[in-house]
Amino acid sequence: MGLSSSDIEAIWLTIRLASVVTLILLLVGTPIAWWLARTPSRCKGMIGAVVALPLVLPPSVLGFYLLLAMGPHGPVGQLTRSLGVEALPFTFWGLVLASVFYSLPFMIQPLQNAFEAIGDRPLEAAATLGASPLDAFFTVAVPLARPGFLTASILTFAHTVGEFGVVLMIGGNIPGVTRVASVQIYDHVEAMEYASAHRLSAIMLIFSFLVLLALYAKRPSGRRD
Amino acid sequence: MKLTIQARKSFNNFTLSADVALSGERIGIFGPSGGGKSTLVRLIAGLETPESGEICLDGDVLFSRSRRINLPPEKRRIAIVFQDARLFPHLNVHSNLLYGCKRCVKKGEAGIDFARLVTTLQLEELLERGVENLSGGQKQRVALGRAILANPRLLLMDEPLSALDDTLRFQIIPYLRSVSEEFGIPYLFISHSLLEMRLMTDQAMAVEGGKVSAPQAIEALARSRVVWDRSDYVNLLKLRDGEAGDGLYAYPFGAGRIYLWEGGAGEVLFELAAREIMLLRGKPEAISARNLLPCTIVDIFDQQNRIGVELDYGGARLIATVVRQAAAELQLKVGETVYAVIKASAFRRIY
Repeated sequence: MGLSSSDIEAIWLTIRLASVVTLILLLVGTPIAWWLARTPSRCKGMIGAVVALPLVLPPSVLGFYLLLAMGPHGPVGQLTRSLGVEALPFTFWGLVLASVFYSLPFMIQPLQNAFEAIGDRPLEAAATLGASPLDAFFTVAVPLARPGFLTASILTFAHTVGEFGVVLMIGGNIPGVTRVASVQIYDHVEAMEYASAHRLSAIMLIFSFLVLLALYAKRPSGRRD
Repeated sequence: MKLTIQARKSFNNFTLSADVALSGERIGIFGPSGGGKSTLVRLIAGLETPESGEICLDGDVLFSRSRRINLPPEKRRIAIVFQDARLFPHLNVHSNLLYGCKRCVKKGEAGIDFARLVTTLQLEELLERGVENLSGGQKQRVALGRAILANPRLLLMDEPLSALDDTLRFQIIPYLRSVSEEFGIPYLFISHSLLEMRLMTDQAMAVEGGKVSAPQAIEALARSRVVWDRSDYVNLLKLRDGEAGDGLYAYPFGAGRIYLWEGGAGEVLFELAAREIMLLRGKPEAISARNLLPCTIVDIFDQQNRIGVELDYGGARLIATVVRQAAAELQLKVGETVYAVIKASAFRRIY
């Protein structure tokens, strides 16, 4: 297709980043979504709003604050230094951490909706049949929320693939480390390499369309009564 | 089974307070919708926590505010058959049935014989099917099987029949009774239907407006004609060995035979509304009604604005209701003989 090696490197990095972020968010987001779906706590609204913030915040604002937090004087930066780890900005793991925050609502909101749709009834039935809350979660709630998990994972993955502003703020533009596909396209355009920009952009466009197609084609069968 | 409940639970504008001691194998919780029956069930199962009080089952404390005990539902070994079945849609019938069994019956413990239960509930054909496409009656049979297989100390049946139509309802009742008897599991049966109550239980407590009354014999409850149930007293007649002839069925009953429009093989259950029985002082010369039974009056009791008359016909008992005026005119007295007139069409077959 005439992709340069740096294009392929950028695509590969993007896929790696999106996969790692999706996995981490599955682990971190699921308990938060479960809590949000079932808690009677008054904090629910507050936490829900915080989780939704990345939906409306300009990526540069989010990136700016994350950069400060990860910097040598920020709380995350001091933590990494005390652990003897290199500073996170301009590293792959710095990007991962930033993307986890940036994509948080895309994981949590579909999961929360799926958990809310299940309601108390199947879980009460499981409890009276001897299942502990954790047991009922894994054997009843998770299987019933499967369409929600699928939607949340696809959205998270796709959204991470598409990010630009946060990457630029946190990771800059280091080939093979933080130069993801969207940044690579920006570079091509800056260098007036419109043909290269076209090719990479077309790949992104087709990818995004296929993801959404998969998602919407899945909808009817994912519905339960 | 012995169950004591002293508990209070308040919601926005409703308070349930219970102070009862139950002892028996088949006990009913009877009352109108919204009266607190389901709340009581949820307190016993541990799905709701009372504000105060104590709940004990067979000597074990399930809940005690003062002793800070509150066993979670999964540790109580109290299974529920819900009104809406609540089968797990991601599991097939077989896996649904085994869900509680895997968790409640320890290795080495005898538990419930799976094959025997499946046979009793006639689930053989359904085992590999998904649960979404089962009929209402099939779903309830699976839900019942699932609850029994968890080998609970107590089974709570929360209006298990109310989502079903009449025909199906009375097909399920024999299953409900026989399964719990066969596997030795006591139950509390919750319903707003007095008829279901009489078919399923020996005694029942009334729950109305958040108040729980002491349990009384189901027959006594039926006669007292509770306020929320406006229907008349209904006689339930279990008949067998019917013979067809001349367009009617004849069944042995008490001192003779009774004639009915409908009939069937084996044991058949009929209901006969008490107001459908007409009482005569003397024997008429000829009458169109097919049943003219000379009976002895064994009891006369108040049924709100009517009089209930209990009749004995060679050992078989019937209750007739008449208005006060008629009772006065007939000068009904215990020990006297009256003729009970019943049309062959007055009997309604239940199963």
